[in-house]
Order: sequence, then structure tokens, then C-alpha cells
Amino acid sequence: MELPENPNKDNNGYESAEKIILRWDSTASEEAREKMIFETDRHEADRYLQAVDEIQRSLSNASISNNNNAAAAAVDDQSKVNSTIQIAMARLEDEFRNILMTHSSALETDSLFDPSSSSFSTPSHHELEEDDAVSNEDNSHDDLLQLQLQHCESSDSSTYRSTSSIREVDLMPAEAVSDLQAIAMRMISSGYLRECIQVYGSVRKSAIDSSFRKLGIEKLSIGDIQRLEWVALESKIRRWIRAAKVCIRILFASEKKLCEQIFECVGTNIDDACFMETVKGPAIQLFNFAEAISISRRSPEKLFKILDLHDALMDLLPDIESVFDSKSSDSIRVQAAEILSRLAEAARGILSEFEGAILREPSRVPVPGGTIHPLTRYVMNYISLISDYKQTLIELIMSKPSTGSRYSGDQSTPDMEFAELEGKTPLALHLIWIIVVLQFNLEGKSKHYRDASLAHLFIMNNVHYIVQKVKGSPELREMIGDDYLRKLTGKFRQAATSYQRATWVSVLYCLRDEGLHVSGSFSSGVSKSALRERFKTFNAMLEEVHRTQTTWLIPDTQLREELRISISEKLIPAYRSFLGRFRSHIESGKHPENYIKYSVEDLETAVLDFFEGFPVSHQNLRRRSQ
Amino acid sequence: MPATDYHASFLGRLSIRRNQVIAMDGNHEQELEDLELFSKHVSECFTELLSPPDDVPFDTLLSIPWLRKLLDVFLCCEAEFKAIIMMGNDSFQISKPPLDRLIPDLLDRSVKALDICNAVTNGLDSVRHYQKLAEIAASALEQKPIGDGQARRAKKALNSLMLAMSIDDKDCSAVKTTERSWSFSRRGVNKDRSPGHFRQVAKSWSAAKQIQTMACNLVPPRGAEASGLASPVYIMSVIMVFVMWALVAAIPCQDRNGLLATHFPVPKQLNWDQSIIGLHEKIGEEWKKKEKKGAAGLLAEMQKMEKLGHNLMEFTESFQFHGETDEKAAAHAAELAETCRRMEEGLLPLQVKIREVFHRIVRTRTEFLHALDQGGKSSAPLV
Repeated sequence: MELPENPNKDNNGYESAEKIILRWDSTASEEAREKMIFETDRHEADRYLQAVDEIQRSLSNASISNNNNAAAAAVDDQSKVNSTIQIAMARLEDEFRNILMTHSSALETDSLFDPSSSSFSTPSHHELEEDDAVSNEDNSHDDLLQLQLQHCESSDSSTYRSTSSIREVDLMPAEAVSDLQAIAMRMISSGYLRECIQVYGSVRKSAIDSSFRKLGIEKLSIGDIQRLEWVALESKIRRWIRAAKVCIRILFASEKKLCEQIFECVGTNIDDACFMETVKGPAIQLFNFAEAISISRRSPEKLFKILDLHDALMDLLPDIESVFDSKSSDSIRVQAAEILSRLAEAARGILSEFEGAILREPSRVPVPGGTIHPLTRYVMNYISLISDYKQTLIELIMSKPSTGSRYSGDQSTPDMEFAELEGKTPLALHLIWIIVVLQFNLEGKSKHYRDASLAHLFIMNNVHYIVQKVKGSPELREMIGDDYLRKLTGKFRQAATSYQRATWVSVLYCLRDEGLHVSGSFSSGVSKSALRERFKTFNAMLEEVHRTQTTWLIPDTQLREELRISISEKLIPAYRSFLGRFRSHIESGKHPENYIKYSVEDLETAVLDFFEGFPVSHQNLRRRSQ
Repeated sequence: MPATDYHASFLGRLSIRRNQVIAMDGNHEQELEDLELFSKHVSECFTELLSPPDDVPFDTLLSIPWLRKLLDVFLCCEAEFKAIIMMGNDSFQISKPPLDRLIPDLLDRSVKALDICNAVTNGLDSVRHYQKLAEIAASALEQKPIGDGQARRAKKALNSLMLAMSIDDKDCSAVKTTERSWSFSRRGVNKDRSPGHFRQVAKSWSAAKQIQTMACNLVPPRGAEASGLASPVYIMSVIMVFVMWALVAAIPCQDRNGLLATHFPVPKQLNWDQSIIGLHEKIGEEWKKKEKKGAAGLLAEMQKMEKLGHNLMEFTESFQFHGETDEKAAAHAAELAETCRRMEEGLLPLQVKIREVFHRIVRTRTEFLHALDQGGKSSAPLV
């Protein structure tokens, strides 16, 4: 049915329009309830919209021509027109809702793939390497920071590709959008803006809810998150980072575009209002997770995931600001910024807690064999990883380590002279401080060895390990600096020397010349008894040292070799010369084999047993040569 | 004065006194004095809350302006409390008994309080949703005289409003299923059951249970402990539980079943909490009254909205156009508009205030955790 175009036949136009509207009054007819106009028939939809327009025109005309009619009639007319409009609006609201619901499913996973971009370039490809050799020993030393920093970040290219920038997708077909636009225009121009926003918001919100579920965004409370094991949280954080990128850059951005399209003709405030109505709740829910992580209890193993989260959010911030750029979305931008700053604070806090924890680490059980302490491994692996996160941490760490202490006045804190560390970034200072503190703690631990030699060996092993780790990481080395590295090297060399002194001085003392000669004569006046004592003592000491120190361990092969060589260099020539000078005196007496038990070759072989870390049967230290 | 300023001046007062202290042990008298001051101050603040703020026309207590005052009181007391605990102690006192046990309890409660803050903020979005619906009705009924169209429009909005209020409140058993947000019933798909509300927590989360858990183990310190730092910790804990309880009573959030049953300890001698107990009783009374009618939260503005909504709904249901103005209905509509205006003005500042409370609780918790870790003997990292 065509609407007559003759403007003079206003009433006819109005009447036919009214008929259409009334025909589709869902409170009045069964038929009207059964079908949706916009689903059924394009022509019908167009007709309906035209009818609405006609009624609206009548309304403005009616108010203009008010003066010409009797008051009561005018009021009557107006009321009738208003009534018709209300019926139309109610209908349009339902149509609006219906179209929205038809096209409000969760975001298609296809649109989540970004074929153009490359995979992640986040700094989270890290693997914390444990020295393979002795990892089993670590488990026996449990009263310290648990050491399972296995940050094996697998590449996520199997699921979502990285979303590196805003990418709006079409959330619904163009025809639906234009229908919605047409309806919205009529509703708003009739003063039914509020209803429009309400319907829009509620339907789109549930669409977003479905998308959230698909993205794996969970509804966890802060309490839930505090209770979860960190390992479980790590995978949630990974998932959140991926999801957040999709949410901000694709989902929310697309919703914004949709609002802009649908409410194009009616001004930016309205599409803003609809957008916020739709995404405010979901955005807050999204950020609540990151917020909960940022306020969780600080402990060292959390540092790296927190930095990952920080970096991800930092990266997203410009997009957050661009998507949420209106006044009404202030609170969302503010919350994002707050979370970012809390994450930074948490990172700083964790670092200083870490430093404190190393200082206080209380285990007293000496590591058997004087080998590398699990604390050393943990700390060095940890700071290697820190140096991988150098880029972020350099920005975050702004103050020097607090070396002044609560325990001041006594020797219970180490010292660090900052003068010689001029020009270093705060981060580098912290790393050096960590090594200083570690050493300090190790010194304390070394005192629990009853054997002073073992204490020195322990220090040597551990400081050497520190040096190797620093050398092994270019970033770390660059931050620690070669000056300090030299200092450390000097330290372990000195420990080696101290060890040698502690063990071998007294052994070699047996091989000295003085005290063996009686009277003034050089060649013949040798006290046989003294000589026999010397040999006996030497043998006993050597056997004891051998028995003990073969169970000691120097894990680093090169260091082990060097120390053995150093020992040999002193021991072998001394023994050879002693033997050379005095064997005849023993051999000329009774039971020389009780005194000259070992040949030089025996000794050479014996030294090879040292520091292997397992006991060698005493029997082995015997003559192998005749 | 904003809570932070108060904190600073109180702290200033304390630190001056601290310099006069000779030895830690000789601090006891000072401490007692401070504790007394604290409980006196708490008592005063809460006594003030017994009467509603001046410009509020409601006879029920839990209005938006009152809630804001309540939160201000919380911030103020919290600042004092923290100053007392942290005064000159570094991490020392915190890691010794009884605080080494009591502070972690408080921190557990803090975490729950944070979740409640979030839930309540979310709930305020529901309230805003009611406001929007009410505004539709109010503006439709503003016209004089009201036509059929406006009446129907208002009726539709009021139906949605009543439905929304009853869905959001699980306490109510009589959910109106007659009319939906559709203007007619549709076959097939309608998953849109709770219009306008985006649920942010898991289905299993319950505000009432959170509060109940917070309130259990609230035991007043006895004997020697009562004269030490255990007292302010107890006081602060009670304050925290009460404030959260009041918020949940006022604002719709997920599952408030059994909130009324929350057990508040009633000690005999202490008088600092007379006002709090008084408030608790008063609110409890209102709750009982409302429970029969099934309201979505006790927030005064919401209750008013509901009452007016019912009246106007009756009006619209029996409406017939006769070209004359129904004065009573017009008055109600105007009142409804006024209530919406109050909400419009008050909701955002209230949300901001709750957020402030959230931040404060986080800050204090972080500081306490740090102090606990510092003073702890073992450095076993706790998650």
C-alpha cells in the first residue's frame, strides 16, 4: 500500500500511517506478535519506517496547528498522536532488540587471527637454566627460597596471533547496521533515546560476555587469586595478556565503531553513551584481574610474570587511551594507569624483598663437599633473568639499593662503596648489591664448616660460579662491570690460596729440611727417628687429607684442574726432593715400607682423586708402583 | 578534612611524642593514652552517624550521602589505626605476638573487603540502571496532562524497573514473570534475563558469605592483651566488618542471603562500639521490615524509587485518558524525578569514594605485609 504523496491530504497520509502502526501493535494482535517486521519483509520494514516518519511529522504539525483548534480537541489529537507514537516506539524497540540479538554472538575466532603480524616479541621467551649436574642436590636444601624458576614461555602462535594494534572488525552485517541506524534515528527523534540506549547496552553486553568466555577471561575474585598457587596464576596471566590485547584492540574497538555507525546521524554524545553502557562493566572486569595480581603478596618468583604483565599493559596503554577517550570513560583509563603503577611498585618491592631475603636466608646446614650452594644458583639464575628484563627494569628501578640497615652498627650487614660505582644505573647497583649480599651470606655459611679448608673451598666454588654466571651473560656483565668482576675473580683466587695454605702448609711442613739434622755435620747427621716421624706424619696427614678431600667437590672442571695442578706444583717437587734426599736413610733401616709408603707417581695419581666429590677407598691411595 | 590530611596531622602529633620517649618499654603509658584516644574518637565518629545527614529527606538511614559519610569515617579511623600500629615500631611489634597472629587475620578480612568494594561498585551500576529506567517513567509522566502514550511508556519502564529490582535481589522469592522486557512474550530465544547487569563474579561468590567469614573469629582481646595493640586491631576489624556489612545491606550485590544473620560480637565493658551496635540494630530493623516486601537493597533512594514506582505503576495500569491532570500522580512523578536527580548526583562520588577505600585498604595491606616479611624469622616466600 502506497502512502499518498499529496501534502494536502494530510489526514489520509496520517491515517494510513496510523493504520500500519496499529496493525503492528503487539499488545493488540496475535499476528503482530508472531512476526518481526525487519526479519520478514524489507518492503514492510520500509513502509513501517515511513509510517513512523509520517506520524512524527503529524506530531510537529499538530503542535503547530494547536492554536487553530479548540483546546480540548487539540489535547485530544495530541494525545492520540502520542499514543500512536508510543505504540510505534514500543514496536521499534522490540525490532531493535531483535536485530541486535540476532547478530550478537561472540566474536568469531577468525577475526582473532592476524595473518599480517608476526608472532610475539615479548621478552618472555626465557628459560631459567639450571646447571644440570647438581640439580638433584638442591631438593635437599629446602629451607630457602624455592627454586623452580622454569620460565619456559612457549610461543603462542598456535592459538591467537599477536594483536599489535587496533583492528576493528565488523560485528554485524552492513544491512543489520543500517536497519539499526534507521530505527535508532526514529527512536531518538521521538525522544526515546533512553530506551534505545538501554536495549542496545543490555544486548551488546551479553555478546561481550560470550566473547569473554571464549577468550578465557574468568570471573575470579581477589580472594580467589590470593589463594591460587603462583604457578597456576602464571598461566592465567599469560592467557589474560593475550585476551586483553584482543579485548582492547579488537573487541572494544569494534564495539566503538559499531556504536559510531549506528548512531552516526545523531551526534557523538549518544554513541559515546551507548559505547560506555556496553563496555564499562566488561572493561572493569577485565582490569580487575590485573589489579588483583598487582596487589598480591610479593615474593621473588613473581617478579618476571609481573614484569610481563606490566609490559603488556604498558604496550596497551595508548590503545586504551584511544578507545576510551571520552570523559565518561575516565575511570577506566585511570584504573589502567593505577594498575600499571602498582605493578611497577610491586616489581620494585619484590626486588628489595629479594635482596632482604638473600641477606636473611638462614640455612645453616653446610653443603656437603663445599660445593655450590643452592642459594648461589638461585640468586645467579635469578639475576641473569633480571638482566634479560633489563629494558623494563631500567625504567622501573629508580633508587639505589638500601644498604643502610635496621641491623646497623654491627657486622651483620655487608658494605658497598658507591664511590667506585659512579655512573652505574640504579638497576646495575641493585645487581651488584645482590651479589654483595649473596657473598656476605655465603661467608656466614662458610663458618659452619668445621674444617677451615672446606670453608675456603666453599667460598672459592661459589664466588667462581658467580663470576662464570656474570661472564656468561653479556647484559649482566655489562651492568656488573669489569671492575667488580675483577674484584670477584681476585676473591675466589684468594680463597683458593687460603685453602691451600690451610690444608697443605702443615703437610708440606713435614717435608722441610730443618730439624732433621743433628750436630753441625750436613751429610751424615740425620736423626733417623725424627725422619721416621716425619714420614709417618706426612703419610698420616696425606691419607687424612686424601680421605677427606676426595669427597669434596669443585664442580667446575677447569677450576678443579687448576687447583690440582697448583697443589701438585707444590707437593710433588717437595716430596720428590725429600725422598731424594732422605730415602736412603730410611731404606737403610728396618721396615722402610712403613715409612716410605708412597712413590711420587702415587702422589701424582692421588691428587687426581681430589675434589671429585665421591669418596675414594683408602685402599686406592697406595703404592701402584714398586 | 580529607582523611589523608587527618592522618598526617595525627602522625605528626605522634612522632613529636615519640621523641620524648626514652625507652621502648617505657612507652606503655603513651600507648595506653593513644589507644584510649583512638577508641574515644571511633565512638564519636560513629555516634555522629546515628543521625542522617541534614539535607537528606529520607527516614531510612542508608542513603547515598550517609554512606559517603560512613566511608569517610572508615578512612579516618583507618588512618589513625595505621599510625598507632606503625608508630615507632618498624616491623618489630608486628612480628611479635599477639600481632603476628592478629594482623594476618586482619589482612584476610582486608582481602574480602576489597572484593566487597568491587561487588558494591558493580552493584552501583545496577542502581544506575534503575535510575535510568525510573527517569524514563518520570519524564513520561511529567507531561500535563498525561496521554495514553505516556502512560503506557511509563508503565513499560516501571515494569522493567520492578523486574530488574527483583531479579537483582535473590532474597525475593516472588519474581515477577508476567511481563518481561519484551512488550509481548516471544517464543524461542530470550536469554536476556537480567537486563543491564553484567555479572563480574563467579556464580558461587556470595557477599553474605564473605561478610560472615569476615565476622567470625572476631574476638575481643582479653586480659593483658586488651591493653596492648591487640585492642586497636580488634576495633579496626569490627569497623571494617560493619562498614562492609552496611554497604552490602544497602546496595544490591550477588547473594545477600543470610546477611542479617551475620553475628556481631557484643562485648560488655567496651563502650566505643555502642554506636556501631546501635547502627547495626537500626539497619537490621529496616532489613527485617523490607525482607517481607523483598527489596533490592536498603539504599534509601532505591527504596523511595521502589515505593514511588509501585504507586505510579498502579496509576498507569488503571490509567484512562481524560484530559485532566491527576495531581497525586504528578506529585509522585515529580518526587521520582527528584530521587533520580539525587542518584545522578550522588552515585558517581560514591563510587569514587569506594574506590578510595579500596586503594587505602590495598596500601595498608601492602605495608603490613612488608613489615611482616621484614620481621619474620624465616624468609619462606608466601604467596
